[in-house]
Amino acid sequence: MSNKLKTLLATLLLLAVVLTGWGTARAEDDPVSVNLFYGRGCPHCAKEIEFLGELEMENPDLEVRYFEIYFNESNAKLFQLAGQKLGIDVSAVPMTVVGNESISGFGGAETTGKKIEDAIDNCRQEGCKDNIGAILAGEEVNIETADSAEQSSAESDANDEESIPEEIDLPLFGTIKTKDFSIPVLTILIAGVDGFNPCAMWVLIFLITLLLGLKDRRKMWILGIVFLAASAGVYYIFMAAWLNIFLFVGAIFWVRLAVAAVALVGGIYSIRSFYVNRDSGCKVTNTEQRKKLTDRFREVLNRRSLWWAAIGLVGLAFLVNLIELLCSAGLPAIYTNILSMSALPASHYYWYLLLYCLIFLADDIIIFALAMVTLKVTGVSTKYGRWASLIGGVIMLLIAVMLLFFPELLMFG
Amino acid sequence: MKVLKFGAVWCPGCLLMRPLWDEIEEEMPWLETEYLDVDENPALVKKYELDTFPAFIFLNKSGEEATRLIGEVKKEKIIETIEANRDK
Repeated sequence: MSNKLKTLLATLLLLAVVLTGWGTARAEDDPVSVNLFYGRGCPHCAKEIEFLGELEMENPDLEVRYFEIYFNESNAKLFQLAGQKLGIDVSAVPMTVVGNESISGFGGAETTGKKIEDAIDNCRQEGCKDNIGAILAGEEVNIETADSAEQSSAESDANDEESIPEEIDLPLFGTIKTKDFSIPVLTILIAGVDGFNPCAMWVLIFLITLLLGLKDRRKMWILGIVFLAASAGVYYIFMAAWLNIFLFVGAIFWVRLAVAAVALVGGIYSIRSFYVNRDSGCKVTNTEQRKKLTDRFREVLNRRSLWWAAIGLVGLAFLVNLIELLCSAGLPAIYTNILSMSALPASHYYWYLLLYCLIFLADDIIIFALAMVTLKVTGVSTKYGRWASLIGGVIMLLIAVMLLFFPELLMFG
Repeated sequence: MKVLKFGAVWCPGCLLMRPLWDEIEEEMPWLETEYLDVDENPALVKKYELDTFPAFIFLNKSGEEATRLIGEVKKEKIIETIEANRDK
Protein backbone atom coordinates (compact mmCIF):
# COMPACT_ATOMS: atom_id res chain seq x y z
CA MET A 1 0.00 0.00 0.00
CA SER A 2 1.43 3.31 -1.02
CA ASN A 3 2.00 6.09 1.47
CA LYS A 4 -0.60 8.20 -0.27
CA LEU A 5 -3.20 5.47 0.07
CA LYS A 6 -2.28 4.95 3.77
CA THR A 7 -2.61 8.67 4.37
CA LEU A 8 -5.98 8.72 2.60
CA LEU A 9 -7.28 5.74 4.63
CA ALA A 10 -6.06 7.25 7.87
CA THR A 11 -7.74 10.54 6.99
CA LEU A 12 -11.00 8.79 6.11
CA LEU A 13 -10.85 6.78 9.34
CA LEU A 14 -10.23 9.91 11.34
CA LEU A 15 -13.04 11.66 9.51
CA ALA A 16 -15.39 8.74 10.17
CA VAL A 17 -14.53 8.82 13.87
CA VAL A 18 -15.06 12.55 13.97
CA LEU A 19 -18.36 12.41 12.09
CA THR A 20 -19.88 9.45 13.86
CA GLY A 21 -18.53 9.65 17.36
CA TRP A 22 -17.11 13.05 18.11
CA GLY A 23 -19.58 15.16 20.03
CA THR A 24 -22.30 12.55 20.19
CA ALA A 25 -20.74 10.01 22.50
CA ARG A 26 -18.74 10.71 25.57
CA ALA A 27 -15.29 9.24 25.99
CA GLU A 28 -14.72 6.89 28.92
CA ASP A 29 -13.13 9.58 31.05
CA ASP A 30 -15.57 12.35 30.17
CA PRO A 31 -18.01 13.24 32.93
CA VAL A 32 -21.65 12.20 32.56
CA SER A 33 -23.84 15.28 32.59
CA VAL A 34 -27.02 15.17 34.64
CA ASN A 35 -29.29 18.17 34.15
CA LEU A 36 -31.96 18.94 36.70
CA PHE A 37 -34.72 21.45 36.03
CA TYR A 38 -36.35 22.33 39.33
CA GLY A 39 -38.42 24.94 41.14
CA ARG A 40 -37.60 26.59 44.45
CA GLY A 41 -40.26 25.62 46.98
CA CYS A 42 -41.15 22.38 45.19
CA PRO A 43 -40.71 19.56 47.73
CA HIS A 44 -40.09 16.79 45.16
CA CYS A 45 -37.36 18.96 43.67
CA ALA A 46 -35.77 19.41 47.09
CA LYS A 47 -35.70 15.63 47.55
CA GLU A 48 -34.09 15.11 44.18
CA ILE A 49 -31.47 17.81 44.82
CA GLU A 50 -30.52 15.98 48.00
CA PHE A 51 -30.42 12.67 46.12
CA LEU A 52 -28.29 14.07 43.28
CA GLY A 53 -25.93 15.72 45.78
CA GLU A 54 -25.22 12.35 47.38
CA LEU A 55 -24.91 10.68 43.97
CA GLU A 56 -22.39 13.29 42.86
CA MET A 57 -20.32 12.70 46.00
CA GLU A 58 -20.24 8.96 45.35
CA ASN A 59 -19.57 9.28 41.59
CA PRO A 60 -16.77 11.67 40.71
CA ASP A 61 -17.49 11.20 36.99
CA LEU A 62 -20.84 12.92 37.37
CA GLU A 63 -21.40 16.54 36.51
CA VAL A 64 -24.76 17.73 37.83
CA ARG A 65 -26.20 20.99 36.53
CA TYR A 66 -29.06 22.62 38.40
CA PHE A 67 -31.50 24.91 36.60
CA GLU A 68 -33.99 26.75 38.82
CA ILE A 69 -36.94 27.73 36.60
CA TYR A 70 -39.45 29.53 38.89
CA PHE A 71 -37.30 32.56 39.59
CA ASN A 72 -34.60 32.35 36.93
CA GLU A 73 -35.95 33.54 33.61
CA SER A 74 -33.07 32.34 31.46
CA ASN A 75 -33.32 28.87 32.99
CA ALA A 76 -37.07 28.87 32.34
CA LYS A 77 -36.37 29.76 28.71
CA LEU A 78 -33.77 26.98 28.50
CA PHE A 79 -36.38 24.55 29.86
CA GLN A 80 -38.85 25.64 27.19
CA LEU A 81 -36.18 25.35 24.52
CA ALA A 82 -35.22 21.88 25.74
CA GLY A 83 -38.90 21.00 25.54
CA GLN A 84 -39.05 22.10 21.91
CA LYS A 85 -35.76 20.58 20.81
CA LEU A 86 -35.84 17.35 22.76
CA GLY A 87 -39.57 16.74 22.98
CA ILE A 88 -39.51 16.90 26.77
CA ASP A 89 -42.74 17.48 28.68
CA VAL A 90 -42.11 20.87 30.31
CA SER A 91 -45.39 21.04 32.24
CA ALA A 92 -43.86 20.01 35.55
CA VAL A 93 -40.68 19.86 37.58
CA PRO A 94 -38.46 18.20 38.66
CA MET A 95 -37.29 17.10 35.23
CA THR A 96 -33.99 15.30 34.89
CA VAL A 97 -32.20 15.01 31.55
CA VAL A 98 -29.37 12.51 31.17
CA GLY A 99 -28.22 12.13 27.59
CA ASN A 100 -31.30 11.17 25.60
CA GLU A 101 -33.26 10.20 28.68
CA SER A 102 -35.66 12.60 30.36
CA ILE A 103 -37.13 11.59 33.69
CA SER A 104 -40.13 13.43 35.02
CA GLY A 105 -40.89 13.81 38.74
CA PHE A 106 -39.11 12.32 41.73
CA GLY A 107 -40.74 9.71 43.90
CA GLY A 108 -37.68 8.57 45.86
CA ALA A 109 -34.24 6.98 45.61
CA GLU A 110 -35.72 3.52 45.10
CA THR A 111 -38.01 4.48 42.23
CA THR A 112 -37.13 7.57 40.19
CA GLY A 113 -33.63 7.64 41.67
CA LYS A 114 -33.04 4.13 40.30
CA LYS A 115 -34.12 5.30 36.84
CA ILE A 116 -31.70 8.22 36.97
CA GLU A 117 -28.87 5.85 37.98
CA ASP A 118 -29.80 3.47 35.12
CA ALA A 119 -29.70 6.37 32.67
CA ILE A 120 -26.25 7.35 33.99
CA ASP A 121 -25.01 3.73 33.64
CA ASN A 122 -26.41 3.64 30.14
CA CYS A 123 -24.46 6.77 29.32
CA ARG A 124 -21.28 5.29 30.76
CA GLN A 125 -21.62 2.08 28.75
CA GLU A 126 -22.99 3.26 25.42
CA GLY A 127 -22.07 6.89 25.44
CA CYS A 128 -24.48 9.76 25.07
CA LYS A 129 -24.61 13.33 24.01
CA ASP A 130 -25.03 16.08 26.54
CA ASN A 131 -28.04 17.62 24.83
CA ILE A 132 -28.58 20.37 27.37
CA GLY A 133 -24.90 21.27 27.18
CA ALA A 134 -25.26 21.38 23.40
CA ILE A 135 -28.26 23.71 23.62
CA LEU A 136 -26.36 25.91 26.07
CA ALA A 137 -23.43 26.02 23.64
CA GLY A 138 -25.80 27.01 20.85
CA GLU A 139 -25.26 23.78 18.93
CA GLU A 140 -27.92 22.18 16.77
CA VAL A 141 -29.52 19.22 18.45
CA ASN A 142 -30.16 16.20 16.25
CA ILE A 143 -33.87 15.85 15.57
CA GLU A 144 -33.62 12.08 16.14
CA THR A 145 -32.73 12.87 19.73
CA ALA A 146 -36.10 14.48 20.16
CA ASP A 147 -37.96 11.33 19.23
CA SER A 148 -35.86 9.12 21.42
CA ALA A 149 -36.10 11.53 24.34
CA GLU A 150 -39.85 11.66 23.98
CA GLN A 151 -40.07 7.91 23.88
CA SER A 152 -37.78 7.64 26.86
CA SER A 153 -39.87 10.14 28.74
CA ALA A 154 -43.04 8.25 27.91
CA GLU A 155 -41.48 4.98 29.01
CA SER A 156 -40.31 6.68 32.15
CA ASP A 157 -43.83 7.87 32.86
CA ALA A 158 -45.19 4.41 32.28
CA ASN A 159 -42.60 2.97 34.62
CA ASP A 160 -43.45 5.64 37.17
CA GLU A 161 -47.04 4.58 37.13
CA GLU A 162 -46.01 0.99 37.62
CA SER A 163 -43.73 1.91 40.48
CA ILE A 164 -46.52 3.59 42.46
CA PRO A 165 -48.85 0.71 43.19
CA GLU A 166 -50.23 2.41 46.27
CA GLU A 167 -53.57 0.72 46.63
CA ILE A 168 -56.09 0.61 49.39
CA ASP A 169 -58.66 -2.06 50.11
CA LEU A 170 -62.07 -0.69 51.01
CA PRO A 171 -64.87 -3.00 52.21
CA LEU A 172 -67.45 -1.98 49.61
CA PHE A 173 -65.34 -0.48 46.87
CA GLY A 174 -62.62 -3.16 46.70
CA THR A 175 -59.07 -2.25 45.73
CA ILE A 176 -58.63 1.36 44.75
CA LYS A 177 -55.52 3.10 43.44
CA THR A 178 -55.01 6.04 45.75
CA LYS A 179 -53.22 7.98 43.00
CA ASP A 180 -56.30 7.95 40.77
CA PHE A 181 -58.71 8.35 43.64
CA SER A 182 -57.32 11.27 45.60
CA ILE A 183 -58.38 14.33 43.60
CA PRO A 184 -62.00 13.26 42.95
CA VAL A 185 -62.44 12.41 46.64
CA LEU A 186 -60.87 15.68 47.71
CA THR A 187 -63.09 17.53 45.21
CA ILE A 188 -66.27 15.87 46.46
CA LEU A 189 -65.30 16.37 50.11
CA ILE A 190 -64.42 20.06 49.88
CA ALA A 191 -67.24 20.94 47.46
CA GLY A 192 -69.73 19.04 49.64
CA VAL A 193 -68.72 20.98 52.72
CA ASP A 194 -68.64 24.24 50.73
CA GLY A 195 -72.16 23.48 49.43
CA PHE A 196 -73.58 23.76 52.94
CA ASN A 197 -71.99 27.16 53.28
CA PRO A 198 -74.98 29.36 54.16
CA CYS A 199 -73.54 32.47 52.47
CA ALA A 200 -75.71 32.36 49.35
CA MET A 201 -78.39 29.93 50.53
CA TRP A 202 -80.69 32.70 51.74
CA VAL A 203 -80.91 34.09 48.19
CA LEU A 204 -82.11 30.78 46.79
CA ILE A 205 -84.72 30.39 49.54
CA PHE A 206 -85.95 33.92 48.93
CA LEU A 207 -86.04 33.36 45.17
CA ILE A 208 -88.06 30.14 45.58
CA THR A 209 -90.54 32.00 47.78
CA LEU A 210 -90.98 34.60 45.06
CA LEU A 211 -91.14 31.97 42.30
CA LEU A 212 -93.91 30.07 44.10
CA GLY A 213 -95.92 33.29 44.05
CA LEU A 214 -95.81 33.35 40.23
CA LYS A 215 -98.30 30.47 39.94
CA ASP A 216 -96.84 29.62 36.52
CA ARG A 217 -94.97 26.34 36.69
CA ARG A 218 -93.16 26.70 33.36
CA LYS A 219 -91.91 30.15 34.30
CA MET A 220 -90.94 28.95 37.78
CA TRP A 221 -88.84 26.09 36.42
CA ILE A 222 -87.17 28.18 33.71
CA LEU A 223 -86.26 31.09 35.98
CA GLY A 224 -85.09 28.82 38.81
CA ILE A 225 -82.88 26.78 36.48
CA VAL A 226 -81.51 29.96 34.90
CA PHE A 227 -80.56 31.28 38.34
CA LEU A 228 -78.92 28.01 39.42
CA ALA A 229 -77.04 27.62 36.11
CA ALA A 230 -75.87 31.25 36.25
CA SER A 231 -74.75 30.82 39.88
CA ALA A 232 -72.79 27.68 38.90
CA GLY A 233 -71.28 29.56 35.95
CA VAL A 234 -70.23 32.50 38.09
CA TYR A 235 -68.75 30.22 40.75
CA TYR A 236 -66.91 28.32 38.00
CA ILE A 237 -65.46 31.57 36.62
CA PHE A 238 -64.31 32.66 40.09
CA MET A 239 -62.67 29.29 40.70
CA ALA A 240 -61.04 29.26 37.27
CA ALA A 241 -59.64 32.71 38.06
CA TRP A 242 -58.21 31.43 41.37
CA LEU A 243 -56.74 28.40 39.60
CA ASN A 244 -55.10 30.47 36.88
CA ILE A 245 -53.59 32.82 39.42
CA PHE A 246 -52.05 29.85 41.25
CA LEU A 247 -50.92 28.21 38.00
CA PHE A 248 -49.42 31.51 36.88
CA VAL A 249 -47.47 32.21 40.06
CA GLY A 250 -46.45 28.54 40.31
CA ALA A 251 -45.35 26.71 43.42
CA ILE A 252 -43.82 29.78 45.04
CA PHE A 253 -43.21 29.22 48.70
CA TRP A 254 -44.85 32.42 49.95
CA VAL A 255 -48.03 31.72 47.96
CA ARG A 256 -48.27 28.33 49.62
CA LEU A 257 -47.62 30.07 52.93
CA ALA A 258 -50.40 32.59 52.25
CA VAL A 259 -52.89 29.86 51.33
CA ALA A 260 -51.87 27.92 54.44
CA ALA A 261 -52.56 31.06 56.50
CA VAL A 262 -56.02 31.41 54.89
CA ALA A 263 -56.72 27.73 55.64
CA LEU A 264 -55.53 28.17 59.23
CA VAL A 265 -57.62 31.29 59.92
CA GLY A 266 -60.62 29.85 58.03
CA GLY A 267 -60.35 26.57 59.93
CA ILE A 268 -60.21 28.27 63.32
CA TYR A 269 -63.12 30.56 62.38
CA SER A 270 -65.27 27.64 61.17
CA ILE A 271 -64.62 25.56 64.28
CA ARG A 272 -65.34 28.60 66.44
CA SER A 273 -68.63 29.13 64.55
CA PHE A 274 -69.63 25.57 65.34
CA TYR A 275 -69.22 26.18 69.07
CA VAL A 276 -70.56 29.75 69.16
CA ASN A 277 -73.65 29.24 66.98
CA ARG A 278 -75.18 26.48 69.09
CA ASP A 279 -78.69 27.73 68.32
CA SER A 280 -78.23 26.76 64.65
CA GLY A 281 -80.04 29.90 63.61
CA CYS A 282 -79.76 32.44 60.82
CA LYS A 283 -77.65 35.44 61.78
CA VAL A 284 -78.85 38.85 60.71
CA THR A 285 -76.07 40.69 58.91
CA ASN A 286 -75.94 43.36 56.18
CA THR A 287 -79.64 44.23 56.50
CA GLU A 288 -79.39 47.18 54.10
CA GLN A 289 -77.61 45.17 51.45
CA ARG A 290 -80.06 42.30 51.75
CA LYS A 291 -83.01 44.66 51.40
CA LYS A 292 -81.53 46.12 48.20
CA LEU A 293 -81.02 42.65 46.78
CA THR A 294 -84.48 41.39 47.68
CA ASP A 295 -86.03 44.51 46.08
CA ARG A 296 -84.03 43.82 42.89
CA PHE A 297 -85.25 40.22 42.85
CA ARG A 298 -88.87 41.37 43.19
CA GLU A 299 -88.37 43.88 40.39
CA VAL A 300 -86.78 41.30 38.06
CA LEU A 301 -89.46 38.65 38.65
CA ASN A 302 -92.20 41.19 38.04
CA ARG A 303 -90.96 41.74 34.47
CA ARG A 304 -93.59 40.67 31.98
CA SER A 305 -91.10 39.23 29.51
CA LEU A 306 -89.75 35.86 30.58
CA TRP A 307 -86.48 36.43 28.77
CA TRP A 308 -85.88 39.85 30.31
CA ALA A 309 -86.56 38.30 33.71
CA ALA A 310 -84.08 35.50 32.90
CA ILE A 311 -81.42 38.02 31.85
CA GLY A 312 -82.04 39.98 35.03
CA LEU A 313 -81.60 36.82 37.11
CA VAL A 314 -78.27 36.07 35.43
CA GLY A 315 -77.11 39.54 36.44
CA LEU A 316 -78.35 39.04 39.99
CA ALA A 317 -76.64 35.64 40.22
CA PHE A 318 -73.37 37.36 39.32
CA LEU A 319 -74.01 40.16 41.83
CA VAL A 320 -74.95 37.82 44.69
CA ASN A 321 -71.93 35.59 44.16
CA LEU A 322 -69.70 38.65 43.94
CA ILE A 323 -71.07 40.04 47.20
CA GLU A 324 -70.77 36.67 48.94
CA LEU A 325 -67.32 36.05 47.45
CA LEU A 326 -65.44 36.95 50.61
CA CYS A 327 -67.78 34.86 52.72
CA SER A 328 -67.25 31.75 50.62
CA ALA A 329 -63.77 32.32 49.18
CA GLY A 330 -61.83 30.22 51.71
CA LEU A 331 -62.53 26.70 50.50
CA PRO A 332 -62.46 27.46 46.74
CA ALA A 333 -59.12 29.26 47.12
CA ILE A 334 -57.63 26.40 49.11
CA TYR A 335 -59.00 23.80 46.71
CA THR A 336 -57.74 25.55 43.57
CA ASN A 337 -54.32 25.97 45.18
CA ILE A 338 -54.13 22.22 45.82
CA LEU A 339 -55.32 21.56 42.28
CA SER A 340 -52.63 23.85 40.86
CA MET A 341 -49.96 21.91 42.77
CA SER A 342 -50.96 18.69 41.01
CA ALA A 343 -49.42 17.79 37.68
CA LEU A 344 -52.48 17.28 35.49
CA PRO A 345 -53.24 17.74 31.81
CA ALA A 346 -54.72 21.23 31.35
CA SER A 347 -58.23 20.02 30.54
CA HIS A 348 -58.41 17.94 33.74
CA TYR A 349 -58.14 21.06 35.92
CA TYR A 350 -61.31 22.41 34.38
CA TRP A 351 -63.18 19.12 34.58
CA TYR A 352 -62.42 19.04 38.29
CA LEU A 353 -63.70 22.61 38.65
CA LEU A 354 -66.91 21.54 36.91
CA LEU A 355 -67.26 18.58 39.28
CA TYR A 356 -66.69 20.94 42.22
CA CYS A 357 -69.41 23.33 41.05
CA LEU A 358 -71.89 20.49 40.49
CA ILE A 359 -71.31 19.06 43.97
CA PHE A 360 -71.40 22.56 45.43
CA LEU A 361 -74.82 23.18 43.89
CA ALA A 362 -76.26 19.72 44.62
CA ASP A 363 -78.12 20.78 47.79
CA ASP A 364 -79.46 23.91 46.06
CA ILE A 365 -80.73 21.82 43.13
CA ILE A 366 -82.47 19.39 45.51
CA ILE A 367 -84.13 22.23 47.48
CA PHE A 368 -85.26 23.91 44.27
CA ALA A 369 -86.60 20.72 42.66
CA LEU A 370 -88.47 19.74 45.85
CA ALA A 371 -90.06 23.18 46.07
CA MET A 372 -91.11 23.11 42.43
CA VAL A 373 -92.65 19.64 42.74
CA THR A 374 -94.38 20.12 46.11
CA LEU A 375 -95.02 23.87 45.67
CA LYS A 376 -93.77 24.34 49.20
CA VAL A 377 -90.57 26.06 50.12
CA THR A 378 -88.40 24.26 52.60
CA GLY A 379 -84.87 24.74 53.80
CA VAL A 380 -81.99 22.53 54.71
CA SER A 381 -81.64 22.59 58.46
CA THR A 382 -79.01 25.05 59.61
CA LYS A 383 -77.86 22.24 61.90
CA TYR A 384 -76.29 20.58 58.83
CA GLY A 385 -74.60 23.87 58.05
CA ARG A 386 -73.25 23.97 61.60
CA TRP A 387 -71.79 20.46 61.29
CA ALA A 388 -70.46 21.26 57.81
CA SER A 389 -68.75 24.23 59.44
CA LEU A 390 -67.01 21.91 61.91
CA ILE A 391 -65.99 19.37 59.24
CA GLY A 392 -64.85 22.19 56.93
CA GLY A 393 -62.86 23.73 59.78
CA VAL A 394 -61.07 20.46 60.54
CA ILE A 395 -60.34 19.90 56.83
CA MET A 396 -58.95 23.43 56.53
CA LEU A 397 -56.69 22.96 59.54
CA LEU A 398 -55.41 19.63 58.16
CA ILE A 399 -54.76 21.23 54.78
CA ALA A 400 -52.95 24.14 56.48
CA VAL A 401 -50.64 21.70 58.28
CA MET A 402 -50.02 19.74 55.07
CA LEU A 403 -49.34 22.90 53.04
CA LEU A 404 -46.82 24.03 55.63
CA PHE A 405 -45.04 20.81 56.45
CA PHE A 406 -45.99 18.04 53.99
CA PRO A 407 -46.98 19.75 50.72
CA GLU A 408 -46.01 16.65 48.72
CA LEU A 409 -49.06 14.91 50.22
CA LEU A 410 -51.26 17.37 48.34
CA MET A 411 -49.52 16.93 44.99
CA PHE A 412 -51.43 14.45 42.90
CA GLY A 413 -50.96 13.11 39.42
CA MET B 1 -99.93 33.68 77.17
CA LYS B 2 -98.79 34.74 73.73
CA VAL B 3 -95.89 33.64 71.54
CA LEU B 4 -94.15 36.04 69.15
CA LYS B 5 -92.59 34.05 66.29
CA PHE B 6 -89.80 35.97 64.59
CA GLY B 7 -88.65 34.68 61.23
CA ALA B 8 -87.62 35.60 57.72
CA VAL B 9 -88.52 34.30 54.28
CA TRP B 10 -84.84 33.91 53.44
CA CYS B 11 -83.96 31.91 56.54
CA PRO B 12 -83.98 28.11 56.00
CA GLY B 13 -84.35 27.39 59.73
CA CYS B 14 -87.43 29.64 59.94
CA LEU B 15 -89.03 27.75 57.05
CA LEU B 16 -88.38 24.45 58.76
CA MET B 17 -90.07 25.66 61.93
CA ARG B 18 -93.29 26.74 60.17
CA PRO B 19 -94.98 23.31 59.82
CA LEU B 20 -93.95 22.48 63.38
CA TRP B 21 -95.79 25.53 64.69
CA ASP B 22 -98.80 24.73 62.47
CA GLU B 23 -99.08 21.37 64.25
CA ILE B 24 -98.70 22.93 67.72
CA GLU B 25 -101.31 25.59 67.01
CA GLU B 26 -103.70 22.92 65.82
CA GLU B 27 -103.10 20.85 68.95
CA MET B 28 -103.40 23.91 71.26
CA PRO B 29 -106.19 26.08 69.83
CA TRP B 30 -106.16 28.27 72.93
CA LEU B 31 -102.59 29.38 72.26
CA GLU B 32 -102.23 32.89 70.92
CA THR B 33 -99.35 33.34 68.44
CA GLU B 34 -98.18 36.07 66.09
CA TYR B 35 -95.69 35.75 63.21
CA LEU B 36 -93.35 38.72 62.72
CA ASP B 37 -91.08 39.08 59.70
CA VAL B 38 -87.72 40.40 60.88
CA ASP B 39 -87.30 42.61 57.79
CA GLU B 40 -90.67 44.25 58.31
CA ASN B 41 -90.41 44.67 62.08
CA PRO B 42 -86.94 46.05 62.79
CA ALA B 43 -88.18 47.98 65.84
CA LEU B 44 -89.39 44.81 67.57
CA VAL B 45 -86.21 42.98 66.61
CA LYS B 46 -84.28 45.80 68.29
CA LYS B 47 -86.59 45.86 71.31
CA TYR B 48 -86.04 42.18 72.02
CA GLU B 49 -82.35 42.41 71.06
CA LEU B 50 -82.54 39.59 68.54
CA ASP B 51 -79.72 38.69 66.15
CA THR B 52 -80.43 35.02 65.46
CA PHE B 53 -83.55 33.55 63.88
CA PRO B 54 -85.98 31.88 64.17
CA ALA B 55 -86.69 33.34 67.60
CA PHE B 56 -89.72 32.65 69.78
CA ILE B 57 -90.61 35.07 72.57
CA PHE B 58 -93.07 33.76 75.17
CA LEU B 59 -95.06 36.60 76.75
CA ASN B 60 -96.88 36.35 80.06
CA LYS B 61 -100.39 37.62 80.74
CA SER B 62 -99.14 41.17 81.29
CA GLY B 63 -97.31 41.13 77.91
CA GLU B 64 -93.83 40.88 79.36
CA GLU B 65 -91.26 38.37 78.19
CA ALA B 66 -91.39 35.19 80.26
CA THR B 67 -88.80 33.22 78.30
CA ARG B 68 -87.44 32.71 74.78
CA LEU B 69 -86.29 29.97 72.45
CA ILE B 70 -83.78 30.65 69.68
CA GLY B 71 -82.91 28.66 66.56
CA GLU B 72 -84.31 25.37 65.33
CA VAL B 73 -86.03 23.82 68.32
CA LYS B 74 -87.69 20.41 68.71
CA LYS B 75 -91.47 20.27 68.99
CA GLU B 76 -91.26 18.61 72.44
CA LYS B 77 -89.12 21.46 73.73
CA ILE B 78 -91.64 24.06 72.50
CA ILE B 79 -94.59 22.21 74.08
CA GLU B 80 -92.66 21.84 77.31
CA THR B 81 -91.95 25.60 77.35
CA ILE B 82 -95.61 26.43 76.63
CA GLU B 83 -96.81 24.16 79.43
CA ALA B 84 -94.31 25.61 81.89
CA ASN B 85 -95.38 29.19 81.13
CA ARG B 86 -99.09 28.63 80.48
CA ASP B 87 -100.33 30.12 83.75
CA LYS B 88 -97.82 32.94 84.04
